[in-house]
Amino acid sequence: MAASCYITFSTPYFALRAEDLLRQTEYAFKMVPVPRSISSSCGTALLCRCEEAEAICRFLAEKEVEWAELHRLEEEEGASFLSFFRKGGR
Amino acid sequence: MRHIGGNPGRSGHARSLEADRLVYRTRSLLARFFNAPDPSCIVFTLNATDALNLAIKGLVEPGDHVIFTAMEHNSVLRPLGGLRRSGTISTTMVPCDREGFPDLDFLERSFQRRTRLVICNHASNVSGTILPVEEICRLAHAHGAHFLLDAAQTAGVLPLDVAAAQFDLLAFAGHKSLLGPPGTGGLYVRPGLELKPWREGGTGSHSEQDLHPETMPERLEAGTLNGPGLAGLEAGVSFIESVGLENICRHERQLRAYLKKRLQELPGVRVYGPEKEEQCVAVLSFTVEGIDCGELGHILENSYGILCRTGLHCAPLAHKAIGTYPQGTVRLSPGYFNTAAEVDYLAGALEEIIALAAN
Repeated sequence: MAASCYITFSTPYFALRAEDLLRQTEYAFKMVPVPRSISSSCGTALLCRCEEAEAICRFLAEKEVEWAELHRLEEEEGASFLSFFRKGGR
Repeated sequence: MRHIGGNPGRSGHARSLEADRLVYRTRSLLARFFNAPDPSCIVFTLNATDALNLAIKGLVEPGDHVIFTAMEHNSVLRPLGGLRRSGTISTTMVPCDREGFPDLDFLERSFQRRTRLVICNHASNVSGTILPVEEICRLAHAHGAHFLLDAAQTAGVLPLDVAAAQFDLLAFAGHKSLLGPPGTGGLYVRPGLELKPWREGGTGSHSEQDLHPETMPERLEAGTLNGPGLAGLEAGVSFIESVGLENICRHERQLRAYLKKRLQELPGVRVYGPEKEEQCVAVLSFTVEGIDCGELGHILENSYGILCRTGLHCAPLAHKAIGTYPQGTVRLSPGYFNTAAEVDYLAGALEEIIALAAN
């Protein structure tokens, strides 16, 4: 079972602010579209390693970046046809 | 920008994200440029007029009193005039002398119990006069009022440090000395100062809610931002940083001093503004005795290819202060890319025109 952690933000500014501040750290992360299973809102989420997610959230809060929610999405290997594309298929 | 074309913050796809990063970079750059504590203090607007309207209308409440100087542009005079006419606010104008400097004793006596805001042009777009804005800001704060700086003429030539000067609000134009394209501008808002938004709508977040977000900068920005314009503004401010503000200011002041000297050598030419060059930015107004300023501007363009602005420059009270109302002046604005040779060419053109007019 693979898990991905997503951090969402209250506004696009905070997403960009988070990216800017996290680039100056050692955390591994990527800005991605918000998965529809998390929110109906448009916009960008921060995808990170689940073991670092809470530390990233604390770091952002210290920097006054308003992150909205932290989501852990469990995904069975190969359960979704999307995983084919996520692995860079096609 | 040619390869991005996305709508900043409106989707998670790569081009939208790149467009959003461009906006964020420009915001961060301007925050650093004005020494703002955080990029979220910078709100993008259509231009300086839009920023001034946002500041004024976002701050004042019915019954408030606002103080402004005679050197203000119509971008301040008209929003205040409209609010005054509707009975929303009362205002006091601080008179200025013939060099464009405000009467600070008058200002000190003008504060009332409900004075919420003092507005001051950093430098006049008519005479180039640099106003004592730090002192006026201190007076405003001493009387419990907020201070709004109109930096349309100075952002990009004079150092601006909002933290040191404790300005509450600073409006800037992108297309003047910041070297950006027309249609760009913005407002610095001190953290903690909550302005009422005057536009609400799409922000790319909380799409399910029918209320506009309250956090900055989205609180005061609604709808798609001018991405291509902001890319140009980023390039302009980056250029200024690479050249150095002090080098730009020195070049422009030298050119203005030389221009003034050459103009004063010509018969019938009268130059306006402060005597001392360090009291001005590179804006110079002049008149020629017996020649209408509009006609002179037309001849300069059509016979010599010299572009200038003539008339009242959207600042009628400033012309009353310096004694050029209602006929106005011819205004020249030597910039960083102008040269002394171009000043000589202009002086030669004026000499010819004046000689022809005399015969």
